Amino acid sequence: MATTSKARQREVFESMYSVIALLFILVACVEVLDAATVVDVYRLIQYDLAGVPFGSRLASLNHHAGSSLFSPGTDLSRTVLVLPVRELNITFIREFIGQRQPLGGLLLLLPRIFSSENRGSMGGADQNSGKELMRNILMELERLLIHANIPYPVYFAFEDDNIDSVLADVKKNDATGQPATATTGGYKLVVSAPEPKKLISPTMINIQGWLPGLKADGDSNQLPTIAIVASYDTFGAAPALSVGSDSNGSGVVALLEIARLFSILYSNPKTTGRYNLLFGLTSGGPYNYNGTHKWLQSFDQRLRESIDYAICLNSIGSWENELWIHVSKPPENAYIKQIFEGFSNVAEELGLKVGLKHKKINISNPRVAWEHEQFSRLRVTAATLSELSVAPELLESTGGLFESRHFVSEAAIIRSVKLVAESLARHIYSHHGKNIKIFADDSSLAINPSYITSWIDLLSRTPRVAPFLSKNDPFIMALKEELADFTVDVNLQHESLDGIFTFYDTTSARLNVYQVASVTFDLLLLLVLGSYLIILFSFLVITTRGLDDLISLFRRPPSRKAKTA
Amino acid sequence: MTVFHFFNCAILTFGPHAVYYSATPLSEYDTIGTSVKAAFVYLGTALVKLVCLATFLKVSENDSFDPYQELLKAVIGFIDVAGLYFALTQLTHRNISQNHKFQAVGLGWAFADSVLHRLAPLWVGARGLEFTWDYILQGLEANANLLLSLSLAALGSLMWIRKNKPKTLIPIIYACAGIVATMPSITSYLMRGLEWHFPKVVGFELFTSLVMAFISWQLFAACQRPST
Repeated sequence: MATTSKARQREVFESMYSVIALLFILVACVEVLDAATVVDVYRLIQYDLAGVPFGSRLASLNHHAGSSLFSPGTDLSRTVLVLPVRELNITFIREFIGQRQPLGGLLLLLPRIFSSENRGSMGGADQNSGKELMRNILMELERLLIHANIPYPVYFAFEDDNIDSVLADVKKNDATGQPATATTGGYKLVVSAPEPKKLISPTMINIQGWLPGLKADGDSNQLPTIAIVASYDTFGAAPALSVGSDSNGSGVVALLEIARLFSILYSNPKTTGRYNLLFGLTSGGPYNYNGTHKWLQSFDQRLRESIDYAICLNSIGSWENELWIHVSKPPENAYIKQIFEGFSNVAEELGLKVGLKHKKINISNPRVAWEHEQFSRLRVTAATLSELSVAPELLESTGGLFESRHFVSEAAIIRSVKLVAESLARHIYSHHGKNIKIFADDSSLAINPSYITSWIDLLSRTPRVAPFLSKNDPFIMALKEELADFTVDVNLQHESLDGIFTFYDTTSARLNVYQVASVTFDLLLLLVLGSYLIILFSFLVITTRGLDDLISLFRRPPSRKAKTA
Repeated sequence: MTVFHFFNCAILTFGPHAVYYSATPLSEYDTIGTSVKAAFVYLGTALVKLVCLATFLKVSENDSFDPYQELLKAVIGFIDVAGLYFALTQLTHRNISQNHKFQAVGLGWAFADSVLHRLAPLWVGARGLEFTWDYILQGLEANANLLLSLSLAALGSLMWIRKNKPKTLIPIIYACAGIVATMPSITSYLMRGLEWHFPKVVGFELFTSLVMAFISWQLFAACQRPST
């Protein structure tokens, strides 16, 4: 009887032990998520160009916050510098990065107005000059960061109240000469992101739509085609923020509006012109218009030869009264003359100015500065309409940090659409020299400002760096659907990005800001608590048992030694 | 380093109980059984209080001080006193002197209170990277609570167990017991009604617990003199 009860007791104990063990495991799994502040941050782009690494090469971050490059006694390789872009000194940064000095990480704070969630409008003259200054700073910063190889994480964030107060605290601490390290407390910035991986086979997706013209009876020749092309993808220092409102969101919106207007005209056989219209939304723009090249190569030889000319739209959203037509064939060429005259006539009527710029193509130079050059290399007449007067460098003017919604004006896009649509219509319907306004305001063919506004708003909220757009990206589907509304035969063409560019993932993350106490504080606290407990113990022993008992605790009992000896 | 902080706060919250047990003659007389039984009585009392609160109390939207609700909470707080009475008188203890009995019961009571109210927040909160003073203040509050429990147990044993008390001291004993029993209501009034900050409230608790402990010690010593 005794043994069974003992065995039962042991069973009870064992089951209790297992329950306790389970409890311990459950309790240990409790997640500790209690940061003072959590901020969305966007990483600097990381890419390889022909094997040479550029951009920020790391993603995860776990260091103390600092606020200045020059605090004495800071170990910069264990500090994350938090610098607002507004107060940035570009020369210092350039030297710092150029000399490859070690740093734990860099967090750049962008002004709130650049955030796509900010719907406030910017007005006033002093705001404009501030805008210009900010634009210049951001352009230089972006150029610097994109072309440098930075071995530590670089993140962008928008200024908000939380991070501003953290920065003010950090500045105060730095000013007292006590920069934050493991022993003196302060703020700790933690981003837990996985190691950035290469993107395998990034794709470029070209979208094309076709508006067929009306063949005259008895005419067996193929109709000539006019192509209107705009590249829709962007590239910038922070790929999660590259919305490229002007470069080239304005071109995309203009193309869609032109497609809409001509689809109204071409829906009625009586007003359908004797030209086919080909609309192309190409990708791979920042990478020497690689997508356009592949798109053209996929064309049938006959189709390519039937293209009369192509108009490429690039950055037409923030100009005042002068646009440029860039060509690669000499201006004396008859076709170029015809195109330019058509445009300048319409421009004169609209009160605008259009200039002609000629840039010869160098076949041996792989750099393709304008989209029309890809057409010219395949002997198709083409021109680019742009507000930029000088050809941009590689990876410049491709939708960077400062290209936010505020720098694009719908009025400029509307003017551009009017110019292009009227010039095209005069060429198609052979109205050369006649002063007829087809797309007059208040007519059924008027340009729709709300259409333009809603599309440019959408584009300003959508980052469009091509390697990060998947095959079924909702934005690409939206463009396809929209083009399908106006044209027939909408096709998607998937091409892989040119081999010399390699991209890495992890474009955005969440930053946790913790306020930490230093190790010395913990040690001090342990010391204080230890002495408190010892004093409490002695006090209790003395009051309840007497002082002799306390002393006897520390004296070795002598009797045991005598026994063993 | 944050497990370090958890360890620090844990020894602040639970250390004094262990020290009290080992330093006083309680360890010599092996009164751990009494303390454990008192802890279980506290658990039962807490459950009963929870059920009463859930049944009778309305959930208020704002954190203001509602006198009626607070009065209700104070009445329910007296269930605590009933539980202590049960632990002191009804549980069968081994033959230990009254002196040690109230200490053992008070110790077990305070330890159970600390574990139930403070262990979970400590485990979840103090291990994070983020540093706040809250857990250290909570530990100080646990110390004050220990003193208050001991005083309440002493006064309780005087009221219910000791039979021959000097007549003049009886009203004082009952008054002090009343004050100690309503301490939770007083602290919640200070936090909500007068909007004191947590450090101030903890300071007040420490001060009053020291005062109450001293007074009950004197009362206990005074009541002990006639019998010796």
